[in-house]
Amino acid sequence: MKKNNLLYSLILLMILSTTGCVKDANLETFSRTSFSDATVFETKDRIENQVRGLYAGLRASNLLGSRYLIYNDVRAENFLSNDPNRVTARAAWEFSEADTDNEVNNLWNACYTVINRANLFLDGMVEKGNAVAGEDAARFNAEARFVRAVAYYSLLQFFAMPYPDGNGSKPGVPLRLVGIKGGGMNDLARSTVAQVYGQIIDDLNFAETNLPLNYSSAELNTIRAHRNTAIAFKVRAYLSMADYPSVVTEANKIVSASAPFAASTGVAHALQANIADVFSNYMTTESIFSMPFNANEQPGGQSQLGFYYMPNGVGGAAGIFYLNPSGIWGEPSWTAADERRDMTVVNDGKTWLSKYPSPGPFLDWAPIIRYSDVLLSLSEAIARTSSTVDTRAVALLNAVRNRADATTTFTTGDFATNDALIAAILLERNIEFLGEGVRSLDILRLVQPFPAKAVPGGVSVNAVAPSNQAYLWPLPSEEVRYNKLIN
Amino acid sequence: MLMLLVFSCGVLLAQKTISGKVTDETGIPIPNVSVVVKGLSIGTITKEDGTYSLSVPDNGRTLVFSGIDKQPVEVAIRDKATIDVVLKDQDSSLEEVVVVGYGVQSRKELTGNIVTVRGTAVADKPVQSFDAALAGRAAGVQITVPNGVLNNPPVFRIRGTNSINLSSQPLIVIDGMVTYTGDVSSTIAASNVLSNINPADIESMDILKDAAATAIYGSRAANGVVVITTKKGKKGRAKMTYDGWVGLTSPTRMWEMLNAQEYMTIKNEGTANLGIPDRYLPSYNADGSMVDTDWGDVIYRDGVSHNHGLSVSGANDMTSYFFSIGYTDQEGIVRGNDFNRKTVRFNADHKATSWLTFGLNASYANELNAATINTGSLPDAAFASAGAGRLALALPPNVSPYNPDGSYNLNGNAIGRGNNIENITFWNPQPILDKNYAHTTNNRVIGNFYLMAKPTRDITFRSSYGIDYLLTDNKNFYTALIGDGFANNGSAFSTLNKNQRWTWTNTLQYDKTFMDKHSVGLLIGSEQQKSTNEGFGLLRQGVSDAFYDVIQGGFTTPLATGLGLGENFLGSYFGRASYDYDKKYFVSGSYRRDGYSAFAPGLKWGNFYSISGAWDIAKESFWQGGLADVVNTFKLRASYGTVGNISGIGNFASFSFFSGSGLYQRNPTLTFSQAGNNLLSWETSKKTDIGFTFGLLNDRISGEFAWYNNDIDGLLLSVPNALSTGMPNSVLQNVGAMYNRGVEFTLNATPIMGKDFTWNTSFNITYNKNQVTRLAEGVDNIPTATQLETANITLPGYSIGMTYVVESRGVDPQTGRRVLVDENGRELLYDHSAPSGQRYTYRDNGQVAPNLNTALAQKVWKNTNPQYFGGFENTFKYKNFDLNILLTYQLGFYVYNGTRATTLDQRFWNSNKEVLNRWQKPGDVTDIPRLVYADNTSNGSAFPISDNVEKGDFLRLRNLSLGYNLPFEVASKLKISNARLYISGQNLFLATKYRGPDPEVSSNGTGNANQGVDRNTVGNARVLTVGLNVGF
Repeated sequence: MKKNNLLYSLILLMILSTTGCVKDANLETFSRTSFSDATVFETKDRIENQVRGLYAGLRASNLLGSRYLIYNDVRAENFLSNDPNRVTARAAWEFSEADTDNEVNNLWNACYTVINRANLFLDGMVEKGNAVAGEDAARFNAEARFVRAVAYYSLLQFFAMPYPDGNGSKPGVPLRLVGIKGGGMNDLARSTVAQVYGQIIDDLNFAETNLPLNYSSAELNTIRAHRNTAIAFKVRAYLSMADYPSVVTEANKIVSASAPFAASTGVAHALQANIADVFSNYMTTESIFSMPFNANEQPGGQSQLGFYYMPNGVGGAAGIFYLNPSGIWGEPSWTAADERRDMTVVNDGKTWLSKYPSPGPFLDWAPIIRYSDVLLSLSEAIARTSSTVDTRAVALLNAVRNRADATTTFTTGDFATNDALIAAILLERNIEFLGEGVRSLDILRLVQPFPAKAVPGGVSVNAVAPSNQAYLWPLPSEEVRYNKLIN
Repeated sequence: MLMLLVFSCGVLLAQKTISGKVTDETGIPIPNVSVVVKGLSIGTITKEDGTYSLSVPDNGRTLVFSGIDKQPVEVAIRDKATIDVVLKDQDSSLEEVVVVGYGVQSRKELTGNIVTVRGTAVADKPVQSFDAALAGRAAGVQITVPNGVLNNPPVFRIRGTNSINLSSQPLIVIDGMVTYTGDVSSTIAASNVLSNINPADIESMDILKDAAATAIYGSRAANGVVVITTKKGKKGRAKMTYDGWVGLTSPTRMWEMLNAQEYMTIKNEGTANLGIPDRYLPSYNADGSMVDTDWGDVIYRDGVSHNHGLSVSGANDMTSYFFSIGYTDQEGIVRGNDFNRKTVRFNADHKATSWLTFGLNASYANELNAATINTGSLPDAAFASAGAGRLALALPPNVSPYNPDGSYNLNGNAIGRGNNIENITFWNPQPILDKNYAHTTNNRVIGNFYLMAKPTRDITFRSSYGIDYLLTDNKNFYTALIGDGFANNGSAFSTLNKNQRWTWTNTLQYDKTFMDKHSVGLLIGSEQQKSTNEGFGLLRQGVSDAFYDVIQGGFTTPLATGLGLGENFLGSYFGRASYDYDKKYFVSGSYRRDGYSAFAPGLKWGNFYSISGAWDIAKESFWQGGLADVVNTFKLRASYGTVGNISGIGNFASFSFFSGSGLYQRNPTLTFSQAGNNLLSWETSKKTDIGFTFGLLNDRISGEFAWYNNDIDGLLLSVPNALSTGMPNSVLQNVGAMYNRGVEFTLNATPIMGKDFTWNTSFNITYNKNQVTRLAEGVDNIPTATQLETANITLPGYSIGMTYVVESRGVDPQTGRRVLVDENGRELLYDHSAPSGQRYTYRDNGQVAPNLNTALAQKVWKNTNPQYFGGFENTFKYKNFDLNILLTYQLGFYVYNGTRATTLDQRFWNSNKEVLNRWQKPGDVTDIPRLVYADNTSNGSAFPISDNVEKGDFLRLRNLSLGYNLPFEVASKLKISNARLYISGQNLFLATKYRGPDPEVSSNGTGNANQGVDRNTVGNARVLTVGLNVGF
């Protein structure tokens, strides 16, 4: 009897202990939802998916998806704060951004996330992807370099003094051009503003050469870079560098000699007859580059253009900023007949910008660069490089003004000097791009002070001169803590 | 049960009859106690009512009373005719058996450091999970209940914080299976998964602290191991018990905030100091009275809770069983924060043949964790817009939750401002409390079946297979009226998260004593554990009609949410060998080899071991005699070993990944989503433990002392990246080093043990020194954030998670400005009324200073790790009454009181009454600066300042309970065997100088490097309960 027990037990033990052994194969587990980095250049589809991922990075809420535009607008004089919550751009509005603020850290982070994605992509293309993508390799590389240029340009607008201040000699941002996949890469000093702009122009030149002339649909022409997109961005970059001859050269590639102004090669950019159409049909030829949204791809919470600018409670908006009666909204020469004045609503005794009227989840596309921007940039650059008031410069100004306001047509005789014309062009830009993230770019490139503003009966914000430390955002704390060469 | 039924026969000696009654410490009669005349084969057993009667020959001198799970008692007969005896539970004795990894051991033979806490310590407590009731119960164990949010996992540390980036919570083993831990909720309701275990089902909790005790758990043992054993049936007839209580939970020690009039006075002083007219004006109710809202009343409540448990258990020689059902329904102090749990347990063991035993431990729990409003008190929620902890403080008292007509007072997605000119941009919590809900429901099955074969007397083979299925169902609804659902016109999400695990353990044990004095124990085993996780869910936005408040209703936008898929596998071999000579000299060694799937290829296996020894000096011949009469036990003990930590490592952490889940205008994207470390391997600790245990006066006084040192090298650190690297995450690397060193001391005593009155006392204290010794190359320090704010830093030479603040030197009496110190040590004055860019001036020369660069100016400030902690418990019994008092304390640490910054913010936020002492004119000496409208810097909101770092030392009356046992006569008339009625209070008293509600707080949950932060969190609750225990 006892022998049997022993036998049974030993048999049981043998069965269980053999099956109880740990098989090494069980320790090899693999993700079924993510790609190993070794496999992402294996097919052309994956390569193109990565390209789209670059744009998705630009579209981040903290970048071109909304907040970059909002900060650029509210730092200037056209908006008044209706909400003291610091995390919804109040600090940007009142120039109290601190190094530890999320807004400062997040914008910087969003730019460099895209930059690293682009760098990793470019590295991987050299290593493997170019061979896989074949004839499309060049345009994919060009898109990556376009995206990187946009990200670096965006960084400079907040963290570096404008190029004309010292001709690019001031500290810029760390220029990272190699993809980073692991730790130990924290320390990198800032390049000069000129060096960073140099890289931006270099990237955009490459993009211009290698991007396709156009895509198969109006949608793709708006959301992915083609040759004219790169040119339009070069216009913007050269304008920020105050390199007006180059602005003229670049803009002329996509602006016809005379009205009606339009691009004659590539995507046929032109102004739309009705300004309002541009904000309801996001894919017209006027929208050179925009950030798309749809129900499945929503802007982030507390990061939607309409959420900030539409009145509190209307369509789920928060009514965070309204139009400053002493800003461009109060400009007497901006006539009541101007259709651009119609893109506003009155609520709670205040006037609100309604360029982005869609209710929550606020799916209006974010305009990044429009054809009217190229026209006015060209107009200004011509004015700045001419000795007399130039008729084409005035015609370009009229093209933008007349489209919205048929009652006002400028003639060369209206401007005693080029300075007067330039002032009119800047005024036009201020009206045309209200709420599109352009106003601060104009202030910065001219090294002007940010104008003072005051909430009636409430807080006021003094003018911020270029010499004031608040003119720039502080370097983000999460950079300063770990990058020992940043300061 | 041992029964001696041997009657004297044939010996003609004079006899006398002795009778009496045997009861337990609460006076309840104990049946079936054997009563034997020492040295003679004469005895009997007690009856149902605990009485006995025995004829004793004249040469009988001593009676020995012994019962199951009771300490035997010897009583000299002398000339007594009646001998009543009180038998004590065995738990306070060194005779007890303790649970060690994969086995049990006599405490006397233990070479490791294990402390046993009986289940009674956590049963009947108004907590959701047993761990929340462990504070003060054991030396070396620090429990910090983070706040009054129901089922928020407590900070559970054994001998200090033993990791920086991985978990520092101990491994929890329930009936042999490693269980899930942590908060599994995806909603705003907390759900500590340990609450799935009904505390009333717990027999004992053995806390394994040193390497000798824990190394057999290898790679998961670095934070200590808690081995939970659930109840089993005890021999005798079936026993049924009912335990129930009803409780009242109340907020306590709340901040004192300004009333409406004070609020307007203070806020308008701030605008006046900026030269702008009053912006804060009174509103009136329909009856003409001024609106004066106490927002604490809107958000907090007195909660009513009740708890019931029924168990049936019993055993005979072949079979034992324990069956229980439990029901608890608890209301927290935040409105809508509820906890409801139903549990069933069935434990059974059956001896099928002389050599084969099998058994089952199975439990099912259905548990609902409910919330209506984000409490702002869970990790990453300190600054949540809906954060109830902050809303209760910051909302202005001069606005009302309702309009005079009874409708909600709303202004878009904000509360209506009433007559204030200032927009009040916080949310009105009332509609959120009324309309929103978050339900996290756990359905949990834990089942464990074992077979045990004993082919010979010395060999035991055991195989157990267990499953642990945890299905977590999250439901959430946000109203379109206000709050999180406003921007999307209302939204709902439901997600299902499935955690499934199986564990298969095989062990072979050999125990043999040779030549009476040489005892050998050998254990070898293997274990495999496979865990999988799968999640999916639906997010719907845009309620198509206000009628809908369920995800199945009408919505305009469907989105996917809560997707997750993962698995990991842990395979192990382990063994233990122990030897003792004459129960005097003990040596033991253990070893475990673990392979874990998450580590890098080629680095998946790790080895862990321990060696230990003990010397029971009191067994030596030189100890006998007079010394032994005083010191009856004295055992020296030492151990050393290595253990590891894997808790918190992602399943695929060694890989670098691209994610393809995103879209760009309806087309797929592929983006860099995870930087991995292809050298990722074990975090290891080297633990040393030296100590002794002693017993004085026949163990009437007993105690334990231990010195320990835990060196953690190869600490896995998330090495931070500068943002400009663009990395999607920081990468875990085996680079850091840290130690925890300390001493523990426990003293148990029974100062009074009379017939009617007994007093038991137990005191424990732990001193722990935590120090980080190395971080990563090129990384001198790691600041750690509390959501939007960074108030902690970890760096070599200091303990983990030091407070990290800008130094403030109070308020300048001349100007009323906050004095701050910049990175060069120069004093700055801050004036919020100056234009941007000119707000900082040097105190010495008045010139404009650069804006403070917080990242440079922040200083390492104070320690957040309690250096001394412990408990002091006293139990008094007088006749049928018992009184239990448990005090707990933590000393030698600081808390960053960020909530105080909230309550002194000069935006429209309400302030605490300290603000009435603000600076008003030159010469005023105060710590509240001159009020300036919208100033959020002087108070410490914009960045943390040293003024808000406070000593956290506290002494708490954790538990006070008074019980009354029904006299036996009454109980038997009621046909019950025993009944106890009690009242009890938790957290009745707190001695501390801390200015917030409670220094026992954590805004960052169980986080390691950001502990000691109180940021807008709700306080701990006070609970009063009335309860009843009945045995049938």
